[in-house]
Amino acid sequence: MKKTILILALALSSATMFAQKKITTSGVINFNATTSLDPLPKADNKTVVAALDTKTGAIAFEVIMKSFSFANPMMQDHFNSSSWLDTDKFPTSTFKGNITNFSTVNLKKDGTYPADVRGDLTIHGVTKSVTTKGTIVVSGKIIAANAAFTVQVADYGITGQAIDAGKVTKEPKITVAIEFK
Amino acid sequence: MSNNRKKLKSIILAGIIIAVAFAGGIWYVFTQKFTDTTKEKADYTINAFDLINEFKKNDSLANKKYAEKIITVTGLVTEVETADTTVNIKMADTTSGSYAIFAFQQQNLTEAKAIKEGDKVSIKGSCSGGAYSQILETEFITFKRCALTK
Repeated sequence: MKKTILILALALSSATMFAQKKITTSGVINFNATTSLDPLPKADNKTVVAALDTKTGAIAFEVIMKSFSFANPMMQDHFNSSSWLDTDKFPTSTFKGNITNFSTVNLKKDGTYPADVRGDLTIHGVTKSVTTKGTIVVSGKIIAANAAFTVQVADYGITGQAIDAGKVTKEPKITVAIEFK
Repeated sequence: MSNNRKKLKSIILAGIIIAVAFAGGIWYVFTQKFTDTTKEKADYTINAFDLINEFKKNDSLANKKYAEKIITVTGLVTEVETADTTVNIKMADTTSGSYAIFAFQQQNLTEAKAIKEGDKVSIKGSCSGGAYSQILETEFITFKRCALTK
């Protein structure tokens, strides 16, 4: 009897844990490092893995860097090369953080809620703390998490002549759009 | 004098030709787009299960072999993930949860929307490589610029 209760309790506990974590494997991240001198360095990644803990507001995502798709083949080669993101050596980038004001988001009520996001962003093997503002849009069972922020490429050990020459911005904009169903 | 003028003319002409060729080269490189995947020849043709297993066994080796290569993958669709502007098709190993996911190129989004879970399909795309997901605790392999093969 005790064993049955224990198994039931474990099953319920794992079911609760599973229910509070929403996951997608089709998040979108857009990277834009264009300048007035060069409109080419921009790309989309449409296969971002992301998770949101609907109980705590913990949020995480990870990307395969070679999944960033550029319109221009040369620009994609540069992006992946050892002198830039070196994606052979650093194949993934990750973010692990929290929506710090998650208590103000009512997931049972449709609406757009401001989100303060804080966490650690790892790019090119370098981890830096980032904070940004975004939104959480609740629509029925769908939760959309959106944010846009800039990073200093130098902070992540990314330098080069194209940056010095103003062809690639020192502060690319990263736009995150993730839909949890 | 006349010879000098001829020489000067030749030098100027050669300079102009070199400048035009250089500008043309730069213009070509900067306006170049990826070839439509439907017109690309596949470097490899493989079924989804074998591809996933190869990455699960050793993703460093598999990445060296497949990353940035055009691959045709055949398998059963286990999930169709749609969002505002995207349609991704997933083929997963249902035992381990490891999967290959295919993001379609813009001109082939309509055909991707018609794909249903359980369909057996062949998809050609540029393999972006695979990695172990810390979030999912499984191997995932991603593709970009995909299209259905006819």
